[in-house]
Amino acid sequence: MKKGLFISIFMLAVTYVGVLLTGNGAIAAEPIVIGIASSLGLGTGQQSMDAIKMVVEEINSRGGITVGSSKRPLKVETVDLRDAEPGVPVTEALLGMEKLIIGKKAYAILVGPYRSEALLASMDLIAKHKVLMLLSIAMTPEMENKIQKDYESYKYVFRLCINSKNFMEYMAGLYTYIGSEFKFKRVYVLNEDSGFSRAAVNPLIANYFEKPDSGWTVMGHRTFPIGATDYTTGLMDAQMKGAQALLMLTSMPQGINLVKQWKSMKISALMAGYTGLLTTEEAWKELGGGFGGAMDLIMEMGNGIGVKEIPRSLEFLDKYVKRYGPWPKGGAMPHGIAPAYESMYILQEAIEKAGTLDPDAVVKEIEKTDRMGAMGRIRFDKNHQVVYGVDPQKASVAVVIQWRDDGQRVIVFPESIAKGKIELPAGLKTGR
Amino acid sequence: MLIPALIYGVIRGVILTLSAIGFNLTFGISGLPNFAYGALYILAGYIMWFFLTILGFPYSLSMVVSVLFNILLGGLIYRFCLLHVRGQIMSEVIVTFGVGLVILEVTRYITAINPRMYQLPTVMDISFLFLNVYFDLQRIIVLGIGIFLFLCLRYFTRHNKIGLAFRGIAQNELTSISLGINSDWIGALSMAFGSGLAAIAAVTIIPLGALEVNEGYEMLLNALLVCIIGGLGSNIGVVVAGLVVGMAQQLTDLFIGSEWIMVVGLGAIIVILLVKPSGLFGKQKELEERV
Repeated sequence: MKKGLFISIFMLAVTYVGVLLTGNGAIAAEPIVIGIASSLGLGTGQQSMDAIKMVVEEINSRGGITVGSSKRPLKVETVDLRDAEPGVPVTEALLGMEKLIIGKKAYAILVGPYRSEALLASMDLIAKHKVLMLLSIAMTPEMENKIQKDYESYKYVFRLCINSKNFMEYMAGLYTYIGSEFKFKRVYVLNEDSGFSRAAVNPLIANYFEKPDSGWTVMGHRTFPIGATDYTTGLMDAQMKGAQALLMLTSMPQGINLVKQWKSMKISALMAGYTGLLTTEEAWKELGGGFGGAMDLIMEMGNGIGVKEIPRSLEFLDKYVKRYGPWPKGGAMPHGIAPAYESMYILQEAIEKAGTLDPDAVVKEIEKTDRMGAMGRIRFDKNHQVVYGVDPQKASVAVVIQWRDDGQRVIVFPESIAKGKIELPAGLKTGR
Repeated sequence: MLIPALIYGVIRGVILTLSAIGFNLTFGISGLPNFAYGALYILAGYIMWFFLTILGFPYSLSMVVSVLFNILLGGLIYRFCLLHVRGQIMSEVIVTFGVGLVILEVTRYITAINPRMYQLPTVMDISFLFLNVYFDLQRIIVLGIGIFLFLCLRYFTRHNKIGLAFRGIAQNELTSISLGINSDWIGALSMAFGSGLAAIAAVTIIPLGALEVNEGYEMLLNALLVCIIGGLGSNIGVVVAGLVVGMAQQLTDLFIGSEWIMVVGLGAIIVILLVKPSGLFGKQKELEERV
């Protein structure tokens, strides 16, 4: 009898201690799973993932995210959607995301699909499971249209990177600036034949260059197949027609040849557009130099470039380099990495302000976001797109850089953070 | 604009010829299908990049090393892959294609571990003005090397014992053996030389383009295109086909649009296969065609 009593008291004591320990969360605090789903085999996807992991490590070193009265650590789960690879169907990308949501119990998805069609399809999945998704790569404005049409279903989706409309606005802004600075009127357009380029160039020509008040005349427009390496015909045509500016749009590695051939053929037209290849500090050395005068767009401030006017851009770069070493040498597109970095902080802040993990409550807090981030001021519009502009105190910004002949990279647009003026190539004079 | 476009057309044609010359040597002249040709081409580019950029070798030495590497690799592919299926043409095609796939996809995997821009610089950043258009030095070098290699190959396959042996084993292997030609050794040499020519093409042409794995697939397609149109085994055929297709592509680009460039080459293949399947200067099936 005494033995039985002793055993019962002992069992009760063990149970009591176990309840105490699990009850206050000191040991068994369940981590919040942060899912990173994108084309992680690409430089942009990989760097975005690294940036987020860096923030997660930082948050966990402080005990995790405060949810109500307790701290919860974060745990990262990743899935490579491979949606950027040719031939990979959207359904396969969605399967990957579903695995992350159902299998790994992801609370939120960061980065998101690479391709726009995969993004749009994934929004239904997100709506079904009420999982937050903070995007930093895919650029289709259709995302916002979906949210506008059915807010209740799609309100869990936010985008921190630029969309293709912002992209066109920056190009239009740049060319307005070039037109007014140098009194140029004649532009020639060269772009690769990809969905991204067509979606950007055709509306840009129709809605900006061909409008009478733009001051520009399109002297010619050539589209090159993806992977083309010979742009000599287009460049000769531009030269013959007296183009003063060349709008180039390519995203493939072969696009560098357009710039190099422009230089070797000594085409006297200002080259300004987007290749995504000329933007990193190392690009000059990596690509063998020889493209002084070429201009390229960095889609968000912070992607391998920082300015003192946006202290967090420099802070992000500094942290990234300390954690991972030098910024990858030209392998990543200048897109999405700084937004991915900020997305984790924004999610953290929203959860802590909401005091709960209830997605509806956290959505409301994300919508109220107003912070100075690596891209500039981060605020969302009513369709959950971060607002981009030309003043980093008012909006997030993209930047245009121009290379000098000595291999220096200089920010030339927007004027609010420009570090130098646009220089014209040899033989090109200002217009009248 | 037309005259500079024609000059660029000639250069484009020489680039196509240079791309196909090694493939023609092994498949056309020696009868050894080397469908790893495109993979060997792009691998040579990456080898040169590695020696130049990572190890800091001088430019010319990096070129030589990559050519020698390819020569050695070509011989090893023959010794360890082709030798076992020698004489079975379909198996030879499949084996070499498989080797090519492995090389390309392993290269893709390795380059993805360290994603960066892989680029081969040109010899020098100099351009020359001619007829109001600038032509860069690298293109002129490609022109020179193309002409030089064509002349060397022509001499080699007509007046050199080894070159004649290459032709011998393609015409009739058993007779060649009975005449004392070691067909395995000649086969290995043919693969090695062809791979070396692929490397020479790579180190001269890639600085004008991009060092990217998918270029390997495109290179094989271009080599096949030129050899089928010109006629397998004919050096003259490869040159004429290269120039004709190059010029057609350049004029298509000028007057119609760049998106039609590939259609020109593929359309030419269809026309040749319908009209003269042995190619413009090919002789392999001339008798059957006449019959």
